[in-house]
Amino acid sequence: MRCRVVVHGTPCRGATHEFSGSRSVKRNALIIWPTAYVLALVVCLASWADEPTGAVRFRDHVQPILENYCYGCHGYGASEGGRTFDEFASDEAMLANVDLWHAVLKNVRAGLMPPAGEDAPSDAQRKQIQDWIEADVFDIDPADPDPGRVTLRRLNRVEYRHTIQDLMGIDYNTTEEFPPDDSGYGFDNIADVLTVSPLLLEKYVQAAETIVRRAVPTVSKKPQAQQFSGSALRSEDGSKNGATISFYDETRVTHPFKIKRAGDYRLVAKVRSHGGFFFDPGRCEVTFSIDDRELLRQEYVWAENKSFNHDFDVRLEPGEHRIALHLRPLAERQASDDDERGKEELRFHIDFVRVEGPMDKKDWIAPPNYARFFPGDPPSAPGVEQDAYARYVLARFAGRAFRRPVDEATLDRLAAVAKQHYQLPGTTLEEGVGQAMIAVLASPRFLFRVEEVAPASPDEPFPPIDDFALASRLSYFLWSTMPDDELWELAEQGKLRDELDERVKRMVRDPRSERFVENFVGQWLQARDVGGAGINAIAVLGHQQEWEELLKRVREMRRERRRSDRDNEPDADGEASQRQRSSDSREVRRRFRELASLNDKYNAELWRSMRRETELTFQYVFRQNRSLLELLDSDYTFLNERLAEHYGIDGVEGRRMRRVELPPDSPLGGILTQGAVLVVTSNPTRTSPVKRGLFVLDNILGTPAPPPPGPVPLLEDSATAFTDHEPTLRELLETHRSEPLCFSCHARMDPLGLALENFNALGMWRDTEQGQPIDTSGELITGETFENFAELKRILVNQRRLDFYRCVSEKMLTYALGRGLEYHDEHTIDQLAERLERHEGRIFELLLGIVRSAPFQRARRTDAAVASHDAVETIGAAIREPAR
Amino acid sequence: MNTKLESTDAIEQERTKAFNRRRFLRGVGACVALPALESLLSPLGARAAEMTLSGSPAAGTAGAPVRMAFVTFPNGAHQANWFPSGEGTKYVLGKTMESLEPLRDQLQIISGLDHVNATPGNDGPGDHARASATLLTGQRARKTAGADIHVGMSIDQLAAKHVGHLTRFPSLELTCDVVRKSGNCDSGYSCAYQYNIAWKSATTPMPPEPNPRLVFERLFGGGPADDRASNYRERQATQRSVLDFVREDARALRRQLSQHDDRKLDEYLTSVRDVEQRIEREEKFGDLPELAVAPPAGVPSAFEEHMRLMYDMLLLAFQTDSTRIATLILASDGNNRSYPDLGIPEGHHYLTHHQGDEVKLEKVAKIEQHYMKYFGNFLQRLAEIEDVDGTSMLNNSMIVYSCGNADGNRHTHDNLPVLVAGSAGGRLTTGRYLQVRSQPMCNLFLDMLDRMGVEGVNTFGDSTGWRVV
Repeated sequence: MRCRVVVHGTPCRGATHEFSGSRSVKRNALIIWPTAYVLALVVCLASWADEPTGAVRFRDHVQPILENYCYGCHGYGASEGGRTFDEFASDEAMLANVDLWHAVLKNVRAGLMPPAGEDAPSDAQRKQIQDWIEADVFDIDPADPDPGRVTLRRLNRVEYRHTIQDLMGIDYNTTEEFPPDDSGYGFDNIADVLTVSPLLLEKYVQAAETIVRRAVPTVSKKPQAQQFSGSALRSEDGSKNGATISFYDETRVTHPFKIKRAGDYRLVAKVRSHGGFFFDPGRCEVTFSIDDRELLRQEYVWAENKSFNHDFDVRLEPGEHRIALHLRPLAERQASDDDERGKEELRFHIDFVRVEGPMDKKDWIAPPNYARFFPGDPPSAPGVEQDAYARYVLARFAGRAFRRPVDEATLDRLAAVAKQHYQLPGTTLEEGVGQAMIAVLASPRFLFRVEEVAPASPDEPFPPIDDFALASRLSYFLWSTMPDDELWELAEQGKLRDELDERVKRMVRDPRSERFVENFVGQWLQARDVGGAGINAIAVLGHQQEWEELLKRVREMRRERRRSDRDNEPDADGEASQRQRSSDSREVRRRFRELASLNDKYNAELWRSMRRETELTFQYVFRQNRSLLELLDSDYTFLNERLAEHYGIDGVEGRRMRRVELPPDSPLGGILTQGAVLVVTSNPTRTSPVKRGLFVLDNILGTPAPPPPGPVPLLEDSATAFTDHEPTLRELLETHRSEPLCFSCHARMDPLGLALENFNALGMWRDTEQGQPIDTSGELITGETFENFAELKRILVNQRRLDFYRCVSEKMLTYALGRGLEYHDEHTIDQLAERLERHEGRIFELLLGIVRSAPFQRARRTDAAVASHDAVETIGAAIREPAR
Repeated sequence: MNTKLESTDAIEQERTKAFNRRRFLRGVGACVALPALESLLSPLGARAAEMTLSGSPAAGTAGAPVRMAFVTFPNGAHQANWFPSGEGTKYVLGKTMESLEPLRDQLQIISGLDHVNATPGNDGPGDHARASATLLTGQRARKTAGADIHVGMSIDQLAAKHVGHLTRFPSLELTCDVVRKSGNCDSGYSCAYQYNIAWKSATTPMPPEPNPRLVFERLFGGGPADDRASNYRERQATQRSVLDFVREDARALRRQLSQHDDRKLDEYLTSVRDVEQRIEREEKFGDLPELAVAPPAGVPSAFEEHMRLMYDMLLLAFQTDSTRIATLILASDGNNRSYPDLGIPEGHHYLTHHQGDEVKLEKVAKIEQHYMKYFGNFLQRLAEIEDVDGTSMLNNSMIVYSCGNADGNRHTHDNLPVLVAGSAGGRLTTGRYLQVRSQPMCNLFLDMLDRMGVEGVNTFGDSTGWRVV
């Protein structure tokens, strides 16, 4: 007997349901017992002995089905796959075996069990088993399901970058600066897997400092400035610029600029002398001037990479002026006896030239970005007003950075850090506040997503999270960044849950949702990996052997040429044979270059186009609220000229990717026929039906192959069975599959992968493999048969549609929650898949279903969470502008 | 707003930078590989080492400090090519190690070492993930895609825990893996197992740094050579005050949050403490080593250049005594890189499942020699650098070159390929092929700990004893 604790006289089950997708609990034969739960507390206390237990319900409703259809292999002493359903030590042991029943649930639901060809239970009976498992083994209360464990989630490096962009207004390249994040469950935003090593912490502290130094002004006013990069300074004929000038070429570069007011100005020039590792005796003289007035004449010599800052004070009148830099060599270029050395020529670089002014303070302006961090008019004199202002600025900044209002104690500490700095002589208020901002960006409250439960939730076991937490969940889910002003304000007002559906739709229409497409699709369909797949075009297109021969010939020819150069021997052969040889070698070289260019042709641009094709296909469905089934089968795709050419489609010109209607007889359409998926599931030189099959199982049907049972014979072993010809992949796989050990997995994977054999490892159509026609026919383990991929597609969007809905729901929920799914999420997934089924697979239904689901809306209550409310209650005062 | 930040754009960005990298390699970076560097750097290395020695006891008993590094290559080794023929000191190097012939007196090739915890056991497939996870931990990785990652502290981190305080950095973790595979990793294992070999604790990996520029800047400061030291010191001052704040902040947060989140905040706090201690320690070490070399520009596009730069960083770190403990992943197990320049268009992983096919075997042999060539260059340079005691850096090191997969074809984890270079300052016998009776790799790790001067550790991973070497 299990019974939820009930408080305040409210029945524990069925009480709150506003966030779960559907109230309709379809339970046909089993409808009695959820109702019984709902009845009242009395049931729990008074008549618990009468209520059927999970074990009783098992014997009444489930066991008879298992006896009929399963015991043949999993009962009466049989234990196929190590599973037996009639040898439990006790009822408790039976109910406690969550893993076993979870496996049963998955296999029965997917139609994998009983195996095709055996007698199978009816759909109603399957449902009965499923309901019993979810309710009695998993203890899922459909009205108030367990939202699951929430682990403090660190921002991954993509989220960090976007968050910094939005918070600070600058781009910090985390792809380069931070190590890659570990991933789990197929995604790199999984809380449990995102760890913090000392190295990463060090990087966070450094990044915080670098970001604040770059983004936050340190003074309130400064002279206006115009800055020009070295490349803006040009020679008269435009052929040279100041970014790089050789020590050995006389060069004069200039740049005009205009000023409006007369006054004192400062010119700042940052230049560098840059030589190679080896000393170079070169010298030059550089003259720096303005309007032909010489400001500096200086000699530069070799330095490995040395910077010089020059500043000059000048008085300027309004109008146009011209800065000029003139470099004159003072030494001749020396003949280099070493190639390496010659390339590292001594150079002079202008990093930038800046014109600051007028220097009169009354003409000074606030630096760029100033108002972003320092709103209003900061008090200039030290004192309580300044302290209050600093506190106000920090409360505002830290609130946004922490994505929830900052508590008083934290704010006290931040204000103290700031004051410690700005009270030092010669230090500005802004510098002090900047120092505290560094601390904010290194704080765990910024780096992790701290969540609280809603203050108004009584002692529910699974209370809703508060609006701030929900705002973050939404924005990181759909935008990979912090909540924007609108979400923040709604959370402040406690109105975020009003019109939530509209809010989500608005977020989808926002350009920032492209990040969701990129990150979700990039990982779910591995579109991110297409550039790194290392496909070898020469080999895939069947030229490997020829290539190797050519390579050998070319090397021989080079050796030959070197030898004859060295010996300088007159050719003993006649002129005619020499001509013949050189015409041969011309042909060899021509063909060599032709093949070599293949690898250049299959380049980053093509991979990028492929990735974009898959992203845009998803994005189209996503933005237009179309059916998810279009991802599997559609009469359009997204192409540019390069990709269209690759697929053999005419009439697409230019680099822009655009939607293209496919001809009616085209084998293309759907993500599985797209280059990105086909490439990432191939080996460098050939397709891999096994990888492709596994991909479809994992990412489309959601029925991962069972693990191979220990050491299994390898695919290539099967090759020994063929003595008369080189076996095709299909033949190899068939032989391999005939081993009973291999059958269980490969019968699931191979037909799916082989159906795609008309697409080579570059995703191009082919009719033959190794000169033999390609046979794409097959049968799914669930019994459906097909002749080719087009037919398989139809099976996927018809008979296996629900599997696909479930699979996408699982993937997207995993991504949205940042955790792996567990047995108690089964009900949520059921609801999402059902919701999709009811609405023709429209993707908004899935999004909205996820956003409204218990795991997205709620959290498990912990004592600590309760206690923290009191702390949160006291917040808020700080965020209000100080009385001034 | 820029929305294309990740993914293949990273690769494209790299391409555009290729020029800079090549220039770095041809120019300044390449000089690390030149004999000239020896004279350039030796005094510094020596000075750094002396400095440490005078401050605190060295890892060993006397003389120069002992260094320890673990370098790992992917997909096992073809056993017939890997192991020498003959035995003891009269051994003949196998095909894979032919290029190491000039260094044979400094080598020790050991057969018979196993990682039973990398075998499938009851966990099914996932040998590549396990190979990486078990390599330096000797423990069985809990099979999880992420919820409850658990393996064990790795040997380098254990050594760092004991002797890491003797140098500016307790340890250094490097990798040449820049782009990781998306989606699921090996058969239900989280990618954390596959891409990390150093584990600070059973649950916290030490993610390795792929970018040689960042390794350099971390060790020696950023910016032009003249400003590096001051940039570095300035950074540290800020870091200290920031760390003070965030330590308090994390503690306050912990009081506020549920116990589920404890683990993450513990990780965070442990890291804060580590960094604080490191900064404190640095002050003891006086001036930052000054290097007359420019930092590398970034991650080179060619894998070979990347390997070479990472070896350079390792070399610089040891030479300046910035650390004595390091790990380097050349490519994580299961890596399927192709080598068109070697005439090998197929992927490495694919080829290692050769099933005795001569053509494939030939290519595997080439790839293994290729990896070995770069490792050999690294050893050669270590051998050419004079250490404080007048012998070579290599002599005073223990560099283990290994893989958690023994035979890539069959995914075995017994009789692992293990090559130990250097004699830990005469504390290890070199110049021999040592065939031991089948026993855990962890026994060797215990020996190495002993040679590092770590006392009181008698078990590690699945060790059964010690004195392998």
